Amino acid sequence: MPQQRRNYAHGRIRILVLATALASAQEPPAVLRQKCAACHDGQQHAGGFSISTAESLRAGGARFGPAVVAGHPESSSLLRIVRGELAPRMPLGGELAPTEIAAIETWIRNLKPTTLASVSSAWNPFVAPVRPAVPQPRDAAWVRNPIDAFILSRIEAAGLKPAPAAHRRTLARRLYLDLAGMPPTREELAAFVDDTRPDAYVRLVDRLLDDPRYGERWGRHWLDLARYGETSGLEGDGAIGNVWRYRDWVIDAFNRNMPYDRFVLQQIAGGDEHSKTRNNYQPDEQGLIPTAFLRVAPWDRSNLVAAEVRANYLAEVTTATSSVFLGLTVGCARCHDHKYDPIPQKDFYRLQAFFQATQAAGAVPVPFSGRAMAERSRQQSEALRQRLKDGPEKQAFDALEKELLAKLIAERQRRSAGQPLTKNDLRLEIKLEPRRIFTEAESLHHARLLEDADRTGDAEEKALLDTLEDRLLLRLKTEYASAKLDPTLRFNALTANDVRSEAQAKYSGKSIFTVVEKNRYAEISGQLNILRRRLDRWQPNVLAVTNVPGPPSGPDIAPVHVLVRGDYRQPGEIVEAGFPIALTGQQQAAAFETDRYRQYPTRGRRITLARWIASPKNPLTARVMVNRLWQQHFGSGIVRTPSDFGRNGEKPTHPELLDWLAVEFVESGWDIKHMHRLMLLSATWQQSAENPGADEDSRLFSRFSRRRLEAEAIRDSILAVSGRLNREMHGPSVFPPLPADLADFARYGRTGDLMWEPNPRDEDARRRSVYIFQRRSLPLPMMASFDAIVFSESCDRRVATTTPLQALSLMNGSLVEEESAHLAARILEAVGPDPARQIERAFEHVLNRPPDPAELQRFRDSKASLAQVIRVLFSSNEFVYTE
Amino acid sequence: MKTRRQILLDSYLGLGSIALTDLLAPPPAQAAAADPLLPRPTHHPVKAKRCIFLFMEGGVSQMDTFEHKPLLTKLAGRQMPRAERATGEIATFSAAPNRIIPPIADFRQHGASGRWVSSLLPEIASVVDEMAFLHGIKVDNNNHGPAVYHTLTGNQFPGSASIGAWVTYGLGSENRDLPGFIVMGDRRGATIGGAGVWGNGFLPAAYQGTLFRNGAAPIVDLHPRSETSQSQRAELDLLQWLNEKHRAGRTNTSELEARIASFELAFRMQSRAPELVDIGQETEATRKLYGLDDEITEPFGRQCLLARRMVERGVRFVKVLHGAGGDRWDDHGNIGERLPVHCREVDKPVAGLLKDLKSRGLLEETLVVWASEMGRTPFDNNLTTDRPGRDHNQYGLVVWFAGGGIKAGATFGETDELSVRSAGEEIPLRDVHATILHLMGLNQSRLTYLHAGRYKKLTDIGGRVIREVVSV
Repeated sequence: MPQQRRNYAHGRIRILVLATALASAQEPPAVLRQKCAACHDGQQHAGGFSISTAESLRAGGARFGPAVVAGHPESSSLLRIVRGELAPRMPLGGELAPTEIAAIETWIRNLKPTTLASVSSAWNPFVAPVRPAVPQPRDAAWVRNPIDAFILSRIEAAGLKPAPAAHRRTLARRLYLDLAGMPPTREELAAFVDDTRPDAYVRLVDRLLDDPRYGERWGRHWLDLARYGETSGLEGDGAIGNVWRYRDWVIDAFNRNMPYDRFVLQQIAGGDEHSKTRNNYQPDEQGLIPTAFLRVAPWDRSNLVAAEVRANYLAEVTTATSSVFLGLTVGCARCHDHKYDPIPQKDFYRLQAFFQATQAAGAVPVPFSGRAMAERSRQQSEALRQRLKDGPEKQAFDALEKELLAKLIAERQRRSAGQPLTKNDLRLEIKLEPRRIFTEAESLHHARLLEDADRTGDAEEKALLDTLEDRLLLRLKTEYASAKLDPTLRFNALTANDVRSEAQAKYSGKSIFTVVEKNRYAEISGQLNILRRRLDRWQPNVLAVTNVPGPPSGPDIAPVHVLVRGDYRQPGEIVEAGFPIALTGQQQAAAFETDRYRQYPTRGRRITLARWIASPKNPLTARVMVNRLWQQHFGSGIVRTPSDFGRNGEKPTHPELLDWLAVEFVESGWDIKHMHRLMLLSATWQQSAENPGADEDSRLFSRFSRRRLEAEAIRDSILAVSGRLNREMHGPSVFPPLPADLADFARYGRTGDLMWEPNPRDEDARRRSVYIFQRRSLPLPMMASFDAIVFSESCDRRVATTTPLQALSLMNGSLVEEESAHLAARILEAVGPDPARQIERAFEHVLNRPPDPAELQRFRDSKASLAQVIRVLFSSNEFVYTE
Repeated sequence: MKTRRQILLDSYLGLGSIALTDLLAPPPAQAAAADPLLPRPTHHPVKAKRCIFLFMEGGVSQMDTFEHKPLLTKLAGRQMPRAERATGEIATFSAAPNRIIPPIADFRQHGASGRWVSSLLPEIASVVDEMAFLHGIKVDNNNHGPAVYHTLTGNQFPGSASIGAWVTYGLGSENRDLPGFIVMGDRRGATIGGAGVWGNGFLPAAYQGTLFRNGAAPIVDLHPRSETSQSQRAELDLLQWLNEKHRAGRTNTSELEARIASFELAFRMQSRAPELVDIGQETEATRKLYGLDDEITEPFGRQCLLARRMVERGVRFVKVLHGAGGDRWDDHGNIGERLPVHCREVDKPVAGLLKDLKSRGLLEETLVVWASEMGRTPFDNNLTTDRPGRDHNQYGLVVWFAGGGIKAGATFGETDELSVRSAGEEIPLRDVHATILHLMGLNQSRLTYLHAGRYKKLTDIGGRVIREVVSV
């Protein structure tokens, strides 16, 4: 079917030609521009409708569909709207003159169907893909699989040639960086280069797909999309729970090649499954781990307006779910009808309704599924509990606390001499044991009133407390005056709590403790806090979402309102959960899956949404995912706006290839590794980065796109090459040291809590970057300078900027410094003192190639130390770019 | 000349949406991918070339500093009137709106403009004629984290680009040997949103703020750990030789070239940054002007002096943060003792900055902004002690401008007699952001970046440039 393909290839050009030829007869009446453009031009697409192109006119808006049916004014909603036959009449708040309406009518009647029809065959992301025929390019020998046929025929059509195949070494390095996230070792490279079997490359692809490093590398790509972070991002930026288990789940899912439909299902609806037949069915609790996808976004815990927090939460998960899985930017429709896509505001809330029963659970206990991790958790917890009970930190703290308490008591006694008695004195005496003046009942009563007044800050509560204290204070004064008891003993009621507030007080002016004492107190209690946090991280808890219980245990789920302008204070129309009209063509409410007895009335909403998304019939899911895989392999997507397949996104450069891949993906059983293989085994992927005749931005994929490695790959590669990468997988996150001084800025709050902790073991600092603690307010400076901040919104594409700060971090940073020294020592041991051999070996380790004679000469002449040579190689463009 | 809209309409039936997107958004970054900090022209002519943004974290009490509300003195100790406008979000932290706290300091009129300023800020009062004030600004959230994000990034949730990143993205930077956007934190600890409040968000990393530390090596990894500068130059020469050789054999090398250039920039930065922070070069008089001779005013005074040295050298955007952790302008309790301390810490340094900029002729081309993330309530939030303090008030933020392009002495907006919220129309924060961009020569609608299917902008749905305080 080459004919069909060519049609598409020239489709756009044809439209242009037709449009020009027919301009006089077909040009829309000026009135459209004059009266409608303010809201419906290229910039503003109110109601999803725009008059700016033929395509957009034909497609129409969210509410009424196609606006213009050529030759048929009576069926054209555009005309019916300006006539007032459809509400609201347009232009909004006015009406067109009869002559203007007539002009539109005449124009539509005279419109040739062909002009618009030729556009209608255009690729539509909202219609399910069908597998297109594979084209047959002229140079059949170049084609290794269908991908190449699609790519090459377009290259040929443009009168160009693909790039030659990449060299074997280049290819191996490229492949390792792509799948493992680090270059091959000298030995790994030699094994491949020396492997003369015809399928050596295929074997390497397969081996790397089975390498656990693959899951860490590609899991990280997914964590970008999932806006993975481990802290709330707001007020105090506290840790949000053991989300590292979600990170490990993602890594394992890639390594085990979990079918993508299941991968989707689990993240949206883990734990929301039910059984149609079984009574009392409880979903697998392990399914809760992936639902952290619905919980890892920044979380505004500090806002006390509960309804607002909830509205923001629901909006966030709705937005993230649709952009990550569907490539739909429904977020815009939170406040108004989408300006570019046919997504009315109502659709946002219909989608959101699937989450109406969802509650953001705190720490949910979910045991470790693997025995090894369970054992590690048990051992670590036990050791940490012991250390917290009587380890050196605890002993030091107890001693200090005791010392400070004695000082506090003595000093307060001294300062109280000659001072009139106040309520503060009463508050001590009344707590004192053994009791001297006040009964236990009085003490309890007072404590309750004091707590109420403190907690509520309410004036009436305070008044109650005041009355009581005034009365008791009188008694206190009388008793003390009687000289039967020693008034200074009241200070024995001071406790560790008083030590803490005194040690942390900032504005007391005449502090009892010295600065040294305060700092020491802060330091040791900080150490204990770190131990407690470590203990927390090892507990088998997860951050997850669950469903509210619902009837009969609790109230029914509240109806979902469209929120006017997205404002939680302005509930509008009530809507039922449903799928976007643009994709299904209907506004019906979705039927939730339930168990036979409707035993769990709140269960089944998310699973219904998830099954619809992960369905082979969904037009977007497979396309969006294969495009993401393609983007990672090839540098840019077939759709270059990977989370926006709507009208504002870019059109696919190769729509038929995209559809072919999407269909292949679904038919393979959503097999991600199968798609990797297809792409990596294609001749397209194996092209050289050099093709002088190619189009500059490589929209034809007629060469490999050279690109800078991400921050994680740069750091991991340096550690891998030096030989010091700690390959341990899984577990709580680690803290590579911050640059000195930055620690100044890494304290938070009154107590100066550390935002960045020391690691339990030194070698933890050299784990892969995917295991670095993701604190939203404190990304590692080196990582941030290479565009890897801790994401708060879904990131569908890493940008790669070039700044001097990156250069500084490589030239002067501790990572390159330390690893260069280490590699230098290794090389020295292996090859001895000959500088030429050292330089050769350094090139082989870092760049996967020996130096050429000119390089060898220049490096020898430079008199640089071996560590310097290695630093230079680590900083070189060749090292940080893949090609 | 055709307007953009005409061009669009001319393309009516023909061009598809690809061409359309190109026309709609000519974001500067695409053109400057290889050199992200290349200076770029403003959208319209203005006076300010650089911006110093002074941020007071915690929520500055407006009625104890810049808003003179005699009624509060009259009603002191009385129950807050339960007027409808005084309830709602601003009361979230208090059990109920409670007793009114009178202003904790006297107010007097100052300068030719006759503006009322509290006696807590005598030095700032002496330069009040240089300023233009905005009162009754509304922030989207009533707590610090989200409000700080909203004030500094235009969005109450993390993830968006900070104002400094937007301005640097729009204008590039004049001094290529220093970062284009520099942040100076409070040495007492981390700011509430951390790196996110000076982050690049969805913009490229080249526009993120660079945190300056105290000391002679203000930038992380500025200096080599062991080498001398001579041997470092030799090392760099070797690197550049290798990079050059690598580039020479390849096509499509603009990124590679940019990276080669970035190493030279970094090398120059190693000498320029220490020179920048070496305030030993300043005269005794200048140091005094900023209060460097007083241990209370010294920390912020040093930051303000450094800010002047930065704009003097063409750094595009300088953000100076004051207050951190428990030691910020968040006076829930004991406001009578706490607020005067913070006022004293900044009063002389800020006034010194304005005077110094003016005497050097820099004020005309520098925009100085003072902001916090919210205002405070007139009433006590009655927390635990008998020492009263004020609660958060997201409707009561005061911002002032000084310097290039503003209408000195002007005021826009006014809160009611109790300083609760705007007496007239509410000023949403995005109007302030639109005004700052305008003063920097940037049009909020043209300064966009395509992210996740939307052309993002600082002001989101768009704000109004507050012409009442603008002269350009």
